[in-house]
Amino acid sequence: MGRLSTVHTIEIVAWSVFVLVFFAYSFEFNQNIEIYKFGATGWPRALLLLTALAVLGNAVYHWRFGDKIQEGRIGIMDDGDEGAQRDIASYLRTGAILLLPFVFAYLLKPVGFYSAAPVFIVLVILLLGERRIGWVIGITVFVYLLLLLFFMVLLNAPLPQGTVSPFYDFSGQLLTWNTQFQEWMK
Amino acid sequence: MIENFLTGTAALFGDPVTIVIFVAGVIGGMLFGAIPGVSMLTLAAILLPFTAHLEPAQGVMLFAVIYCTGTYGGAITAILFNIPGAPENAPTAFDGYPMTRNGQSGKAVGAAVLCSALGGVASALIMMAATEPLAKWAISAIGPPEIFALVFFGLAVASSVGGHNIWKGWLSVMLGLMVATIGQDPVGGINRYNFGFPDLAAGIAFVPAILGFFAVSEVFVQAEKKAIGTYAAPKLSVDFPTVVELWAEKLAVVRSILIGFFCGILPGIGATLAAFMGYGEAVRWSKNRSEFGKGKLEGVISSETANNAATGAAMIPLLALGLPGGALTAMMVAVFQMHDLEPGPLVFYNSPELIWVVFAAMFFANLSILFIGLLETKTILYLLKIPFQFLAPLILLLATIGAYIGRGLVLDVMVMFGAGIIGFLLRRSGYSIAGIVLGIILGKIGEQNFAQAMQMLHYEWTGYLDRPIGLLLLVAGALTLGASVYRAFFAKPAAAPEENAKESA
Repeated sequence: MGRLSTVHTIEIVAWSVFVLVFFAYSFEFNQNIEIYKFGATGWPRALLLLTALAVLGNAVYHWRFGDKIQEGRIGIMDDGDEGAQRDIASYLRTGAILLLPFVFAYLLKPVGFYSAAPVFIVLVILLLGERRIGWVIGITVFVYLLLLLFFMVLLNAPLPQGTVSPFYDFSGQLLTWNTQFQEWMK
Repeated sequence: MIENFLTGTAALFGDPVTIVIFVAGVIGGMLFGAIPGVSMLTLAAILLPFTAHLEPAQGVMLFAVIYCTGTYGGAITAILFNIPGAPENAPTAFDGYPMTRNGQSGKAVGAAVLCSALGGVASALIMMAATEPLAKWAISAIGPPEIFALVFFGLAVASSVGGHNIWKGWLSVMLGLMVATIGQDPVGGINRYNFGFPDLAAGIAFVPAILGFFAVSEVFVQAEKKAIGTYAAPKLSVDFPTVVELWAEKLAVVRSILIGFFCGILPGIGATLAAFMGYGEAVRWSKNRSEFGKGKLEGVISSETANNAATGAAMIPLLALGLPGGALTAMMVAVFQMHDLEPGPLVFYNSPELIWVVFAAMFFANLSILFIGLLETKTILYLLKIPFQFLAPLILLLATIGAYIGRGLVLDVMVMFGAGIIGFLLRRSGYSIAGIVLGIILGKIGEQNFAQAMQMLHYEWTGYLDRPIGLLLLVAGALTLGASVYRAFFAKPAAAPEENAKESA
């Protein structure tokens, strides 16, 4: 197996699945285009072939050299946590910070930006390790008001208002106050 | 030319409303470029409907000014937080962020200010002097075969930077190109890879994907460091680069101005490829290649000069031919159309005052980068003092707003966070985020021009033998790729990341 590790094998399998799924799905739109010889599938299939070659090259590289960085490579992002000690709690915290934005995005439609944002700010700050309650509340209020001032009052940017009561009503009330404020300013 | 320039300047500064719009554009572009999570495109998307209430010259001028100053503003977040404000600032982060970690953030931002202004002013001057002849040359000498060849060369350069080996660099670019195939194909309009989601028929929106790969993935990386206790706050420094240090990079500046201008003038290519090519050529011509990516001033200078040099040049295909070079210039076409105008050769004859107000505004906007940039830099550097746990929610929420505003779809917010997670995982495995983003940006342009080139050349690659510019670019791309593949198999690899860390400790 040379210097191939489990992580490398997973990587190679993931890329191979990606290529196979996209190739299989390309038959869904395999139509001719009268003015173009290669049709709708020509370009993506050529890319998939090049991807497959690169997956093979990557596998051979890892098999020969393991995790070593190729000489002369530039612009490599040094994330700098290789060899760091990870425990269950750190995995859970990392998992939670990855999952939280998806939950927030999922709730944007029913709950709306105006109601979901303050809760999201509090949770992010807490997940990143801040435990001083005064700071958590202060920063949450500051960030929330800053966003409202900039995007709602100054730019009138259309943000999701929510579809479920009482969140929809809360967004509506904020926007009504904004309209009244704009009229008063005139 | 001088007379026209003075007329444009008088029109710009003779009307108080136009002055206010100019100043708002300068500050707004810098601000939106410099706030992590949003970009000049977010500002432009928000402002687009309001331009209907402005005079045509004011509307187009506002977008041109935002383009110039926003391109510079994005460098600040690239340098300070490793979050490029726009794709054209991605190569700036390669050396800018390591400089921040080395305690040289002031030098990096100072160099970005000066070189953005230099590149932009030089480009504006060339644009004023030669828009019409350059546009005519571009029409006769540059066609789809050349544009495809330049895209290929640019992608070959992009695959050479970023990943841990050439294959990972190339796979990153391929992933970006595959993402760009989602949606309608550019020749026949056939739906591809929408996986049953009607919203994907229009493709993956460009802004959410970029925000996800750059801003969200960086927040995730730093959050993980916080979780495992390896987070180290970036070091603050307010030392600007010295005149001697800057003078030593004069060749890099001139080379990047030429590269930036050439890339900017080509329709559809724009500042992003210019920055990558500027950076790539700086590495190629350097005697100390191994220092790039570790905090070399020349890297920041090359990238920032090239992307701002492309801003002026991008106006040439837009104004002379009506062809936008990127997302922001495409919005400028919309501004023209809102006022029943069509950008193209006739604009020079029908609305010369509009053209010269825009030219003058771009010139002064680039000059203002120097003055306002130097004034604000020391203040902006103090952003590094804000604890990450307070900055992260702001970045994530700004990115959410930036992703949502373009099309008003929650799906775009999902796409952004999905791109953030994919970017986070790929970065951990040694792939290049910048390569993915360049693939997404150039995918559609590359395919469209490939199809047109093949039709023009009757599907014969030998047709390139009659097109020297295209042939040269194809050969340069093939050599760049070939050299990297050769090194991947026959050269000695560098140490593993753990060994590197041990050595530096």
